[in-house]
Amino acid sequence: MMTVGNPGPSGAPVVSFEEVSKVYGQVRAVDGLSLDLRHGETVAFLGPNGAGKSTSLDMLLALRKPTSGRIRVFGSDPYTSVKSGRIGAMLQSGGLMPEVTVREMVELVTTMHPRPLPVDQTLKRAGIADIANRRVDRLSGGQTQRARFALAIVGESDLIVLDEPTTAMDVESRQMFWANMHAEVAEGRTLLFATHYLEEADQAADRILVINKGRLLADGTPAEIKERAGAKRISFRLDPVDEAFLLGLPALVNLEIRRDQIHIQSSDSDRTLYALLDAGYRPREIEVSSLGLEQAFLAITAEDDKNGSADQRDKETVR
Amino acid sequence: MSGTMDLARLEMLRVLRNKRYMIFTIGLPAVLYLAFGRSQTTAYGVEFKAFYMIAMASIGAFSGALTGNAQRISQERKDGWIRQLRITPLPAFGYVTAKIIASLVTTVPSIVIVLVLGRFYGDVQLAPWKWIAIGVVIWLGALAFAALAIAIGYRFMPDTAQPIALFVYLGMSLLGGLWFPLTGALGKFAEGLPTYQITRIGTDIIGQGSFPIDRVAIILAWLAGFVALAALSVRSTAEKI
Repeated sequence: MMTVGNPGPSGAPVVSFEEVSKVYGQVRAVDGLSLDLRHGETVAFLGPNGAGKSTSLDMLLALRKPTSGRIRVFGSDPYTSVKSGRIGAMLQSGGLMPEVTVREMVELVTTMHPRPLPVDQTLKRAGIADIANRRVDRLSGGQTQRARFALAIVGESDLIVLDEPTTAMDVESRQMFWANMHAEVAEGRTLLFATHYLEEADQAADRILVINKGRLLADGTPAEIKERAGAKRISFRLDPVDEAFLLGLPALVNLEIRRDQIHIQSSDSDRTLYALLDAGYRPREIEVSSLGLEQAFLAITAEDDKNGSADQRDKETVR
Repeated sequence: MSGTMDLARLEMLRVLRNKRYMIFTIGLPAVLYLAFGRSQTTAYGVEFKAFYMIAMASIGAFSGALTGNAQRISQERKDGWIRQLRITPLPAFGYVTAKIIASLVTTVPSIVIVLVLGRFYGDVQLAPWKWIAIGVVIWLGALAFAALAIAIGYRFMPDTAQPIALFVYLGMSLLGGLWFPLTGALGKFAEGLPTYQITRIGTDIIGQGSFPIDRVAIILAWLAGFVALAALSVRSTAEKI
């Protein structure tokens, strides 16, 4: 596992998971998850559907209890932290109060908070000031999402947890959302968000946690995650092709041959390319490009799925 | 506690904005009393107009506490509003407490209106303490049905919660003799039901000025049972909300 290189955040962890597991019957939704969030970080929680993101967030917010392991938030248990208003959260599965206006609902949740912020400010920050007098059950998808977000920022919480915050938002509102969010974090908050928009994680987060099948696969800056996945792509033409040789190239992660067109995924493009040249090959039309986080993410989870099924096969042969 | 009270206040506002509440909880019992309240018969040893006043006040109060609440709670659970509240600083039982408080408050008008009709339209004349005692007993019954609504709302999805609540309400009100007084075997059976006992405490107060303590015991037993059922339902669904 990669270490985190951010020099900024320091002090005791805001959130710590210690060997946390959650088992539903036969299914291990979360499997020995350990992680620390530090003060002031913006952390993205990345993983495919069913990876255990929601269950992890539910446990962090005291909605579910871990089967084993321990979660600490600001040095106490999740329940205490939620009830003392230190966590502001927005869940995909969270609903809104029907038959009242947006303002009435936001006012209500504001009065519950020990360190409330002015309601007008919250409405403005969430971008719902113009629909404050509309009834909650008559909002569009994007408006509902913003109203949900408003409930997460009604007070001065130290940790903000957002589950897929920009789902159902258009590009413009998404940009506005992140501009506001960066302002919140600049005030000294810690932000954890789950997302399936990799671009969003890449741009907004200074740290990414990749989770698959309930386990942490990677933990690092977006640059580190891309690097780990073999995040350079080398393309060239070569005739004739010696597949065995190409497969033996250093730092090679993936090889794809289409007639004379070769695509290589490499974790160190310089080394791979030098080895190719040193062996006397003279490829044509060389292109070296970076992989996006999306490909990196797919590479990491695909590798894990492959290992997982290999484990499964090994076990079966042993039997 | 302030969060809970604010939630209760908003809950009341919602109820008052709701048309169904106005029709079934406030309107229907009053209209029925105006239609049949002057019937010149007797029931349970008192004039019909006095019995019917108690019965109709109970009908409104119980339907408001049970059928309205059960379906709402179930819907709010399904929509994730209860889940949302759990991740706010609202105390653990704040939602349920607010629902009960809102029920108890919004039940008052439905009871008072029918009692006022009884006094001025039915010409039922009672000492002040009797009016208060009758109101309080019906109110206590509404509390039991509010607790039952919580149990149903937490256990069933909206499409089943609604018919279940309606079925229980109709069963309890019919077999408890709220729609018409019961005699014979049915009356014997009804003695186990809180709805019947609430009506009979009312008629006893009007008729002889006192009532057997057994009646109160039966009501309290149902109240305790419903409250326990509600608490159990809330706790057992904690991980599913």
